[in-house]
Amino acid sequence: MGVLALSTIRKDYGETRAVDDVTLDFPEGELTALLGPSGCGKTTLLRMIAGLEAPSRGTIALRGRDITQLPAHRRKFGMVFQNFALFPHLSVRENVAYALTIGGTARAEAAARADRLLDLVQLSGYGDRRTGQLSGGQRQRVAIARALAQEPEVFLLDEPMSALDAKLREEMQVELRLLQQRLGITTIVVTHDQREAMTMADRIVVMSAGRVEQAGSPQDIYRWPATAFVAGFIGRANFMDGVADQGRVMVGDVALSLPEPVKFLSGSPVRLTCRPEAIRLEAAGVPLNRVQGTVTFVRDLGPVRDIHLDTVLGKIVAEQTPDHSLPGIQVGQTVHLTLPPEALRIYPRPRTAMAAA
Amino acid sequence: MSVVGHPEPAMAESPRKARADAVQAADDRGALGHRFLRAGVTTLIWCVVLFLCVVPLGLVVAISFGHKVEGAGWEWAFTFENYYRFLVGANWPAETTFLYLTQLYWSMRYAVVASVLAVATALPFTYLLTRQSRRAQARWLVFLLTSLSLSEVFIVMGWDIILSNNSGLPVLFSASGLTDWMKATGWFDVLRDWGLASPRNVKFKTSEFATVLTMSYLVWPYAVILLYPALSRLDPSMAEAARTMGARPWTVARTVILPAVRLPLMGTALLLFVFLLGGYVAVTVFADPAKQTTAVSVFEHVRGSTLNAPFGAAQSVILLVTAAAFLVLGQRLSRRSEGAS
Repeated sequence: MGVLALSTIRKDYGETRAVDDVTLDFPEGELTALLGPSGCGKTTLLRMIAGLEAPSRGTIALRGRDITQLPAHRRKFGMVFQNFALFPHLSVRENVAYALTIGGTARAEAAARADRLLDLVQLSGYGDRRTGQLSGGQRQRVAIARALAQEPEVFLLDEPMSALDAKLREEMQVELRLLQQRLGITTIVVTHDQREAMTMADRIVVMSAGRVEQAGSPQDIYRWPATAFVAGFIGRANFMDGVADQGRVMVGDVALSLPEPVKFLSGSPVRLTCRPEAIRLEAAGVPLNRVQGTVTFVRDLGPVRDIHLDTVLGKIVAEQTPDHSLPGIQVGQTVHLTLPPEALRIYPRPRTAMAAA
Repeated sequence: MSVVGHPEPAMAESPRKARADAVQAADDRGALGHRFLRAGVTTLIWCVVLFLCVVPLGLVVAISFGHKVEGAGWEWAFTFENYYRFLVGANWPAETTFLYLTQLYWSMRYAVVASVLAVATALPFTYLLTRQSRRAQARWLVFLLTSLSLSEVFIVMGWDIILSNNSGLPVLFSASGLTDWMKATGWFDVLRDWGLASPRNVKFKTSEFATVLTMSYLVWPYAVILLYPALSRLDPSMAEAARTMGARPWTVARTVILPAVRLPLMGTALLLFVFLLGGYVAVTVFADPAKQTTAVSVFEHVRGSTLNAPFGAAQSVILLVTAAAFLVLGQRLSRRSEGAS
C-alpha cells in the first residue's frame, strides 16, 4: 500500500468527462510521471490530488486516511505550477519561506530554513533578489524550493519543464530527479513529454481520454505496451492491421508469426506493432516474417538512420544504427526486411480504426 | 517621389548623384513645409488646451483675490480677505469661526469614507467577476457601463425615494414589524445613538449614512471598471499555489491578492476620492444642514443666494489644492511602498 491511493476517481465538467475511473497507488519515495497527450486529464487528476478540484466520484486516501473532502490548504502538498506562480511582491527568500511564515514559524527561523532550501536548489545568495530578476531555470528552482519548504508528504509538479528551453529542460530533469532521490519524497509529475517521463520516473502512468492506459516502470512500458495507444505514444511504432488466423496474423496476403500462437479467435481484427529499431534489413537466416520493400526515403540523423519503406504490409519505418545498416542504401532500392516474431506485439484493433477500414 | 513626401534617407545614398541631389532639394523643401504644418497644428492644439483649461482656472484663481462690494457685485482686486474668511472667518481677528474649514472637513470625510467603501466592496465583487466565464464577465461589464450613463440627479432621486421617511424603507420597516422587533431587542436604541432613528421609527434622512451610501453607490461602477484590468491580469495559479502551501482563503486574499493589486487599489481610491470631493447633489439631498460641504457652499456663493463670486472662487481654489495635495500624497505613498517592497 502506497502513501497515496486513488480509488475510482472521476471528474465531470458538465457533459465532459475529464477523468474516468482512475485507481492508482503511489508508493513511498517514488517518482511517478502522469504522461499523456494534452487534454487526457492528467493535470485535472493532479489538481484533484492537490485539493484544488473536487472529484465527482471516488476517494483519495493519504496513508489510509480519506482526504477526499480535505481542502488544499489542509493537505499542504507542495505544488510546482507550469508558470511557477511565484509571488512578484515578495523576494526570493520570502517566496520560499511563504508556507512557513503563514504557518506561524518565527521570522528568523523561516528565513534560515529558506536559505537552506535555496542552498539545496543551488541558489544560495539569491535570497534578496526580486523574482523578476531571475532566469527561467532559476525561477523554477525557487518554485521547487518553495513547495518543499513545508516538507510535504506528496510533492506535485504540473508540467514543470514546459516553460524552459530545450537544453535547460534536460539538465533540470536530471537535477530534479537527483534532488527527489536525495530527499526520498513521494513525487508526482505531470508531463506530455515521454523523454521527460523516461528520464525522471520510477513509474509511468500513461493516460488517454481520462483513463489510465498503463502504469509501470519506464522499461516495461516501452517493451510491453499494454495497448496500441501506449505503443504509439511511448517511442515510435509501426502499426499493421490484420486478422487473426489459426495462431498467426494475416496482414493482407502475408502471414506473420509471433513467438507463441495468437490467442485471438480466427477472423478477429487485430493490430500489430513493431518498434523501428527491431526491424532487420537483411536476407540472412530463416525467412520468417520476411517481406520485400522499396526504400522511399532515408533520414540520416547521425547516430541512427531511419529507412522509410513501402511494403505489402504498408508503410514501414526501420531504424538502423550505421554499423548494422546495409552499406549505401538508396532511395528506390528493393530490400528484404524481417520483423522478428519476438518484436511483434498484438492488440485488439481499436473500434475507430475498424470503422475507418 | 512626391515633393511633399517624407524625406527618404535611402535616396541620398544613390550613386546617381546629380539626380539624387535634385530629389534631395525637393525633399528639403517638402520637409520644411511639413515642419511648418506640424508646428502650426501643435500651436493650435496648445492654444485650444490653454483656452479650455488654463484660462477658466486662471480666472477662478484671479477672481478669488477679488473684492465683494456690499449690496452690489464684485470688483477686481488683490486681497486675501476671501482666504482669511475661509480659514478663520470674516470678522477675524475680532472673532474666529471655522465654519468653512468644517465644511471642508465634511467634504473630505464623505469623500474618504465613500471612496473607501466603494473600493472595499468593489474589490471582492470584481475579483469574483474575473473568475466567471468570459460571457458572464462581458454581461456584467456592459451592465455596469450602462449604469454609468445614469445622471447623478437620477440616482440621487432614486435613493431619495428609497430612504425617505414617508415612502421608503422606514415605511417598510414599520409596516413589516421590523421597527417593533428592533425596539424589542434594543437595536432601535443603537440606531438612535447613530442618528438613524426618530423616537417613532427609523430615519435615514438626513444622515451621514445616507450621504455616504449614495456617494459610494455613485462611484461604485467606476471602482469595478478601474479595478477590473488589474484583477483580470492576476494569475489564478498564484492563489492556488498559496492554497497548496497551507493558506486559508482569507490568508490568500491578505498575502497574495491584496499585495498584488495594492497599487491599482490605491489609485482607484484616490481617483474616486478626488471625484467625490466635488460631489454636490447627494450632499444637498442627504446631508444635515450643519454637515454640508465646500462644494455646496461654492455653488451657493457663485450662483445661489449670497452671490459672492470672489469667496466662491477662493473656496474652489482651496478644494482644488486639497485634491492636489491628496494626489501628491498618494503618489508619494505608492512610490515609497514600491521602494520598500
